[in-house]
Amino acid sequence: MTFFTASALRLAGVALAGSVLAATPAVAQAPKIGEPAEANNIRLVGFNDLQARSAYQPTIHKQGDRYIAYVGHHGASYDAKPRNPINGTQEFNGTSIVDVTDPGQPKYLAHIPGAEGGPESGGAQMTRVCDGRGLPKGDANAVYLLRPFGRLAHEIWNVADPANPKLVTRIGGDYKDTHKSWWECDTGIAFLVSGVPGWRAQRMLEVYDLGDPSRPAKIRDFGLPGHEPGATGAVPSDLHGPISTGPRGNRLYLAYGPLNGGIFQIVDREKLLQGPKEATPANLRYPEVGRLDMSPLHGAHTSFPLLQMPLAEFAKSRVGAVRDFVMIVSEATGRANGCQETHQMVWFADISVEAKPMMVSNFSVPESSGNYCDRGVRFGAHSSNENTAPVFHKKLAFITYFAGGVRALDVRNPYHPREVGHFIPAMTEATEKRCFKIDGQERCTTSIQSNNVETDDRGYIYVVDRANTGMHILELTGDARAAAGMQ
Amino acid sequence: MPWTNSADGLRTLMAGAAAGVLAYSALPALAQSPKIGDPPEAKNMRLVGYNDLQARSAYQPTIQKQGSRYIAYVGHHGGTPDVPKPVNKLTGQAEFNGTSVVDVTDPAQPKYLAHIPGLPGNYEEGGAQMVRVCDGKTLPKGDAGKTYMLRVFGGRGHEIWDVTDPAKPALLTQIVMGLKDTHKSWWECDTGIAYLVSGVEGWRVRRMTQVYDLSDPLKPVHIRDFGLVGQEPGATGAVPMELHGGVSTGPQGNRIYFGHGTNKGGVLQIVDREKLLKGPKEPTPDNLRYPEISRIEMLPFNGAHTVFPMLQMPVAEFAQDKDGKVRDIVMIVDEQIRNECQEERQIVWFVDVTVEAKPMVVSNFSVPEASGNFCQRGGRFGAHSSNESMAPVFYKKVVFITYFNAGVRAVDVRNPYQPKEIGYFIPSITEATDKRCIKVDGQDRCKTAIQSNNVETDDRGYVYVVDRANTGMHILELSGDARAVAGMQ
Repeated sequence: MTFFTASALRLAGVALAGSVLAATPAVAQAPKIGEPAEANNIRLVGFNDLQARSAYQPTIHKQGDRYIAYVGHHGASYDAKPRNPINGTQEFNGTSIVDVTDPGQPKYLAHIPGAEGGPESGGAQMTRVCDGRGLPKGDANAVYLLRPFGRLAHEIWNVADPANPKLVTRIGGDYKDTHKSWWECDTGIAFLVSGVPGWRAQRMLEVYDLGDPSRPAKIRDFGLPGHEPGATGAVPSDLHGPISTGPRGNRLYLAYGPLNGGIFQIVDREKLLQGPKEATPANLRYPEVGRLDMSPLHGAHTSFPLLQMPLAEFAKSRVGAVRDFVMIVSEATGRANGCQETHQMVWFADISVEAKPMMVSNFSVPESSGNYCDRGVRFGAHSSNENTAPVFHKKLAFITYFAGGVRALDVRNPYHPREVGHFIPAMTEATEKRCFKIDGQERCTTSIQSNNVETDDRGYIYVVDRANTGMHILELTGDARAAAGMQ
Repeated sequence: MPWTNSADGLRTLMAGAAAGVLAYSALPALAQSPKIGDPPEAKNMRLVGYNDLQARSAYQPTIQKQGSRYIAYVGHHGGTPDVPKPVNKLTGQAEFNGTSVVDVTDPAQPKYLAHIPGLPGNYEEGGAQMVRVCDGKTLPKGDAGKTYMLRVFGGRGHEIWDVTDPAKPALLTQIVMGLKDTHKSWWECDTGIAYLVSGVEGWRVRRMTQVYDLSDPLKPVHIRDFGLVGQEPGATGAVPMELHGGVSTGPQGNRIYFGHGTNKGGVLQIVDREKLLKGPKEPTPDNLRYPEISRIEMLPFNGAHTVFPMLQMPVAEFAQDKDGKVRDIVMIVDEQIRNECQEERQIVWFVDVTVEAKPMVVSNFSVPEASGNFCQRGGRFGAHSSNESMAPVFYKKVVFITYFNAGVRAVDVRNPYQPKEIGYFIPSITEATDKRCIKVDGQDRCKTAIQSNNVETDDRGYVYVVDRANTGMHILELSGDARAVAGMQ
């Protein structure tokens, strides 16, 4: 694949210049290059093409007075080693580091190559970043990037100078898989998604103390009973990823089964860390506080806590006016092109009584609002922002919806989540086709594939594309700003 | 207070309709409880007719097509301390609340035909709140010329009445007496199998299931007792939540959906009907588990008062998807029990049971409190019950939910993932409307408000909503946009 940084930027600029449509037109087929972005209450602020690499997790880190975006990449689909224009070399997809201090003018600083391999086997899709001064035994001058190395390992890099990342440590090396890990920046405890040899799940939890990033200390392995070595019977759904509320909240929320067979689990963090570590069914059950088995038709890809939400609707009820929720996002797979599966969407679970979590509501993008099933590749939910800065937390959530772009949800009443805006970037020449076999025939389509999204404490929204279109930096406009309490 | 002048009441109600002040397009935000003389509040629903039901507290209306007539059988709760035995104006006798029989062939001119007294006792202590009706010609061993009414006799027992002439009901059978309680039973009119909600002596709950073969209404045959494991005699430990009622899909569907718990600890249980009827009957834990396909436990502060299956629903939103475009849904309605929002709000839930082994709640419906300041109106505010008629006119398109002081709500359920209100009707209070009290600083503080309790529909599309606070029965129809949702002209 050739490279079109300049033209891609120009195309994105077309939308920037004001041709953003107020409502999504019902595009009857796949979008075309040159068509403007589609948007409602969200505006394009800036763009970087991320060297046309398939992008997964953007993590925005405030580093001194700079804001740096660390974007994890999947492996490449076709061009195995795209060119890094900064050093002129061909590199396996890894991690893009972009200075977004001025969101209108993002500056690409460095690319750290990842593992060799295709979309899900190579690359370095996940990123988490902690400051050394926050970690119990970190170098106060260092900034640490935690990332997987393809499916094989986890790595910690010192990115104090984000233009010159330096490898600090590598963990593992013989995993079956890795995925969406979590790292507590105040304790250093990391909940790594690994495929530890011998375990029956492709992805489970490996708990590490990374309080001193140069000396990783393993604490234990963890998974659902049935995942452990030696178990028999059906293997429960794989872990997708955890979110911890740290020592104070003392909870981990874990999502298993991203595509279907979703399981959402609430775990007592203290019991997980201090409990008996041997991988027996009883020891694996010990830290579990509650669990929700979803309809097997739907998956649990990410689980994002929205705790202690005062609900206006129940304000006059003597009890039950403040509730705890977890937002669960399923992942549309595009098992084949264009809705060749069960629609995957967004769920809200009321976990006010932790032992008995119950789903209470859902959100999906109406298919007919954009004829998205006809656009090609994946249509459905994938991921949410995970930043808990006050600007958006418990007010707005941002959901990537593949061909449906990124959607802004008003979650102030999780019993009735409501869309308040959306942005579907324009395709560029970098947007790459995705091909699937349907009834033995290969069918290829090209469409925006908004993959993951993150926000920063200034209220900027970073959405990255799985189909190589790059990173779009957005902000709310119109009514949607009011929902977040913004001017 | 007894209702003494139903003609005046009707005139007042209908005058509002004629003058056009009936249907507000938006609810006024009443700052306090409603007053006598205030018009009803409505959107896309219109009052067609009314009967005061002798100012008796009403629970279940069942509408039966009987030849060319439509008859409403309305079960009543017991009376009030002020009026424990309202006067039956047909006979001039004071009678404990039981069953009202009303001819609603002309819904604009309902005719009160008979009152069958129930068990002495006020409120939930007496009456005969539940009623189901079957034609003898569909029951395997029924008399083809007869119509049979199954009702509870307070919390004591179950009875079958011959209501072939609805103006002259005659007691046929006492199925069982001496129970601890009764409740919302179900009767399959094609097989005669009945799932009676009973409190059998020795069982650990007040309400569980007694399965009977009532195919010959003269010769009831007890099949078995059933409940959640832990409810059976001799069990130990915590007692699982008691049954509220079940809905069977009969031999074809082979499923019974049981709702346990009214305002808390809700459990929806899916049961294999064949296994329930044919399986080993001794109430051992294994035998009670045997027919269970699955269950879903609700949030502990929500109930599962009524459960209503809506199976094989094509969901338009998923129409383009290769998989999962048709879903099996069960609607669960909780029951608000405490007055003036003194407990968690009880609402309506939609459960996806497409994969029966793992049912999951997917959506909810509630009436926005602020749309009518309902917490301040008095009495209960929250959900209670739904229509259960499966006639094509509304089934899987529109459901009707009673919401106590927020009246009856029409909900578009064509996409059960996004249920949406399309209309409502909150009847006016009358002089018959009974007060509801809460304790404030140890003293009773009472308000009077509509308490729409249960609702049923008929195959013509009329909606019958009855009042727990003695206001009677309002017969309604959809109007405006809401008719299009049901595919009506």
